[in-house]
Parts: sequence; C-alpha cells; structure tokens
Amino acid sequence: MGNYCIPQQMKVERIGTEDPTRTLRTYDLSFVNDSDREAFKYLPGQFCELSIPGKGESPFGIASSPTEEGFLRFTVNRTGSVTNEIHYLRNGDTIGMRGPLGNWYPVDDLKGMNVLIVGGGFAFTTLRSLLIYLMDAREDYRDITVIYGARNPDLFIYKDEIALWKQRDDIRMHLTIDKPVDGWNEKTGFVPTVVEEVAPDPENTMAIVCGPPVMIKYTLPVLTKLGFSDERIYTSLERRMKCGIGKCGRCNIGSKYICIDGPVFSMAELKNIPETV
Amino acid sequence: MNMVRLDKQKFSNFILELSAEYTVFAPGKVGGKTEFVPIRSEDEIDFKTLVTDMSPKGIFFPSSEVLYEYDKQGIRVPEKEIGKPIAVWGMRGCDSRSLLMLNKVFGSAIQMPEDEKFQDPYWKEKYDSSLIFGSACNTPLSTCFCNWFGGGPHSREGMDVFVVDAGDSFLMEPVTGKGSNFLRELTCFADSTEKDEAVAKKLASDAESSMAAPMEVTDLGERLNDLFEEAVWEEISAKCINCGACTFSCPTCHCYDIQDEGKGSRGKRIRVWDSCMFPIFTMEASGHNPRALSSQRVRQRVMHKYSYFPEKYGEFLCTGCGRCVTACPVNLDIREVLKTINAYNKQGITNG
Repeated sequence: MGNYCIPQQMKVERIGTEDPTRTLRTYDLSFVNDSDREAFKYLPGQFCELSIPGKGESPFGIASSPTEEGFLRFTVNRTGSVTNEIHYLRNGDTIGMRGPLGNWYPVDDLKGMNVLIVGGGFAFTTLRSLLIYLMDAREDYRDITVIYGARNPDLFIYKDEIALWKQRDDIRMHLTIDKPVDGWNEKTGFVPTVVEEVAPDPENTMAIVCGPPVMIKYTLPVLTKLGFSDERIYTSLERRMKCGIGKCGRCNIGSKYICIDGPVFSMAELKNIPETV
Repeated sequence: MNMVRLDKQKFSNFILELSAEYTVFAPGKVGGKTEFVPIRSEDEIDFKTLVTDMSPKGIFFPSSEVLYEYDKQGIRVPEKEIGKPIAVWGMRGCDSRSLLMLNKVFGSAIQMPEDEKFQDPYWKEKYDSSLIFGSACNTPLSTCFCNWFGGGPHSREGMDVFVVDAGDSFLMEPVTGKGSNFLRELTCFADSTEKDEAVAKKLASDAESSMAAPMEVTDLGERLNDLFEEAVWEEISAKCINCGACTFSCPTCHCYDIQDEGKGSRGKRIRVWDSCMFPIFTMEASGHNPRALSSQRVRQRVMHKYSYFPEKYGEFLCTGCGRCVTACPVNLDIREVLKTINAYNKQGITNG
C-alpha cells in the first residue's frame, strides 16, 4: 500500500524575491520523477507539505494554477526553521513535497457567476492560483473583481503580475494598504472597509476570501451585510498542520480537520464550526 | 466454536505455542510502572494489575516511531522490526474497544474509503495481523466507568478471544473467526463444562453490579456544543496544569507530532505522541495561537472526545478506562467534568 509520509522529490527551477527584505520568496518546482508528475492532479485552493530532511515539514498553498504546465509554485515567508531552510535553497536543489492535500475552491460553482476575490498579505497564493485558473477559461465566468490588501506596498506578492492584471479590462483590480504612504495612488484602508465600498452586487456573485485570520474575521460579516448568502461566501482557513490527512489532530476545529475537510469552507459550513477565526 | 477451558497449569504451554507464531505482549512491570511489554514466558506477566498505568495503544501506535530514515542517497522506510505478527494477552475490554476507535482513525480510511492514501501503513502493518486476547474484569476499580459508554467489565468488543479468569483456569471464548481459528489449532485446551459457563456468567453479573450507575450520556455531544462559549470551561480548567498526563495515558488519544532527528544529511523522521494540552500544539509560526488559553485546550480535549469524534465517527472517543482519573496530578476527574456539563445550564447555575 502507499505511504503518505514519503515525500516526492522536487527540483527548484526558479526563485523569485517578492519583497525588499527578501522575507517572501517564490519557488517554482518541477518533479524529479515523471511518474510523480503524471499522478499529480490538483485544483486551486489545495496545498502541499514541503519537506526538508532534518528540519521538518510545513504546509503551503499552491500558488500556481493547474492550467500552468511544467511547474508548481509556492511562496514562502521566512519565519521558522523549515521556511528558513527553504530560503537557503538554490536553483537545481531538491526539496521533498507531499500533496496535493485538502479540498479546493468551488471552481465548478463559479461558472457563469461573477467572482469576487478578496485577499490579504502573502495569503494571496491560492488566490493567484484561482485567478489564473479563471483567466485561462475567462469566457466561463462573468465579472471578476479582486480586492487585495497589504500592510504596505512592499508586501504585495506577485507585483509584476498585479501590474499586468491592472492593465486588463476583464478584471477589476482594487489594491489597498493599511496606512497612506507617499507615492501610493491606490486605495488606503483595511480590506473589510474597501470590500464594503467596491464589492459588486451580490446577485449572481460568489465571494472567495483568503487572508490573515483578522482580515477574514472582519470581512465575512461585511459580505453578509452586503447581501451575500452563506452559500456564496467561501474562505480558506489555516492552522498548524503536520500529517495533512486528518490523523495527527492539530488542525481540528469542531468535527472538521482543516487538512482534509478544508482548507476551503463555505460560510454555511463555518457557522457550525466553533473558534474558526 | 464454544467456550474452552485452559487449566492454569497448562498456561506456560499456551504461551509457548502462542509465542511460536506471534510476538506476545502482556501486562508487565517497567520501573515500577505497569504497561504492555513483549514477553516470552508466563513469569513475566503481571496478572494482578487490572488497568495498566500506560494503555496498550503503544503496541500499535508507539510513543516514538521511525517513519523513515534519510541520507544523501534518499529515503528508506525501516524494515519491519518484528518478523512475527503481534498477539496481546490480558487486554481489558476498555482497551480492546479503544483499538477499534483508533482503527477508525488510522486504519479504515473513513474519510475517503476508496482512497488508500488516507490509511496509515505503520498502524495497519501491526494491527491488521494482530490477535487480541481480552481479559474480563471481575473486580472493576472505583475509577472504572466503561459502563458509561456502552462497555462493561465483560465486554468482548475489539477482542479476538475473550478470556475469563475463573480461579484455577482461564475460560476462553472466541469472538472473531481469527480467534476461533487459533484456538482450534491448540492442543492444551479442554472443552468447557456447563459449570464453567455458569461460573463465567456469575462473574460477569457480579462485576457489572459492582459498578456505580452510569451517567446519562445520550445528549452529551449536544450539551457540549451548546456550552462551547460558556464560562464553565474556566471553572473546569482552573486547576489543570496542562501536563498532558491524561492524553499520554489515554488509550484513545491519538494526536501526534512529526519530528526530525539527525545530524547533517543523515537522520530519521519520527512521529511522537503529542498532546492538545500543550500550548505549542497549535502555535503557528507567526506567533498566532488559536488555543492559547488553558481553558480552550481543556475544552478541546473534552469536545473532541464527546462531541467532535462522535459527530465524525459515530461514537465517543472514550472507553471509561479511568487512566486519566488516576494519572492526573491535580485530581481533575473527567467524570466530574462530564457531570458538571450535564448539570450546567446557560444561566450559569449548576443544577443538582
């Protein structure tokens, strides 16, 4: 039988730096073994455990879209021993990976709908996956609105792509930072406030929210107030995880495990789960 | 196949025959504490202890287990240490039932039955081929409360062979086909007599009637869900020191951590028991901790056992073995906790 503990071997193909302090880096990985590549099927919202022998494993949302072939993308915030070690990797180095794990954004339910994507900080990873996925079959979806907030302009990830998205007339991009700074011409203020200001009509619209707990906590009630029903709001939660398959216990909230029952939950599901955000 | 009788004089033969096919675990003493240890002869078995200090879960889910070894060449899953399958002698009904619960988590891939990747190969390798000899409790302890959760001193659930100590003999009754196949091949048994069966019946009814009446647990899960936000948790957890003794001695607690041990490029990835009582269990790299307070952690343990697990798997994650009651250094008695929950209403008044 298979052994879920054994990571697949991945090769670092490209490393990008997302912020001036080089705390956020983006890694494009390719499969060392063809059989692993062929077996790997995923959808936006899923995550993987990246694994460094001697340091351990940590979960990361997949930032690439299944429509982008040839690589898997992860953005890693340097904050603990595993992420520190990942930041030491160079092009051509190998890293272990387990996945794809968890469920995904309701991409089929988004077809024919307006989509509102709300993101915060470096949690934009799986939202990038979703956005690329939607753009690659643009005609299947109606209006796409993105509200993306960061503490300051440096902390947006995927800045080059954001610039491209902003130029397109088939995405409404709204960027916001917490406090005004010189030279910033976009919005200023917290994400929930901007959502209240620019969110599209809830009619035929699905909202997908991913960000830090405090952003999620204050954004969900705003969406409800705007008239989004519980079945039309989805969010992705995060907890400390280890096994990724609902056994080790630490990501347990209510009767759910974030790693297998989530990380994506509808607002309707969240209402029955205690201490989510 | 009916009940058979093994005279105690022949017990050492039985252990020899069992050892020929199995690695046998039985209650034994380790440094003054009792736990299940590998044994080769009758002398090593502790027949007196009713509930061992440590539960037998560690036989199948060790407190520390190598998942794989790594070095520059790659990853290797270690060869199975024990060539023979595992047999356990002397497992109480509470503990054999706990294995069925753990098997729901590790073995049966209940989340996605078709998907093998959700099964745990380390557990399955040991548990699926095992042979469990249960042991009836003729004199339940004051800390025993198996009768709260559908168990009983002569419960047979989770056993392959049910064994009653009838003084000068062991009366054995096969529970599963595996148990009956094994008994059939042995030579040291005699058929049981009507008298033997009457003795077993009497011991069962005496043991059952010696236990205190169970608390009503039918709506425990719902009550817990209702009281999630209540201040009662601060009251309940006030004396808890979050030492984790309850989770480590518990036969059903299965939370674990995965750690790397090694130097340079060579080492082992191991899994070790972990505990929801520890703040670091849920501490995220950012510093955010969703269960930073002791009251949140105590609530989590109680909710997981009596609300969340039942919702997901259809039964309480507690067999009433009483180990947490005995092990707790501050005498936090889970039965009292559940009684408090049962008697609590939202006005903050404890009834009865």
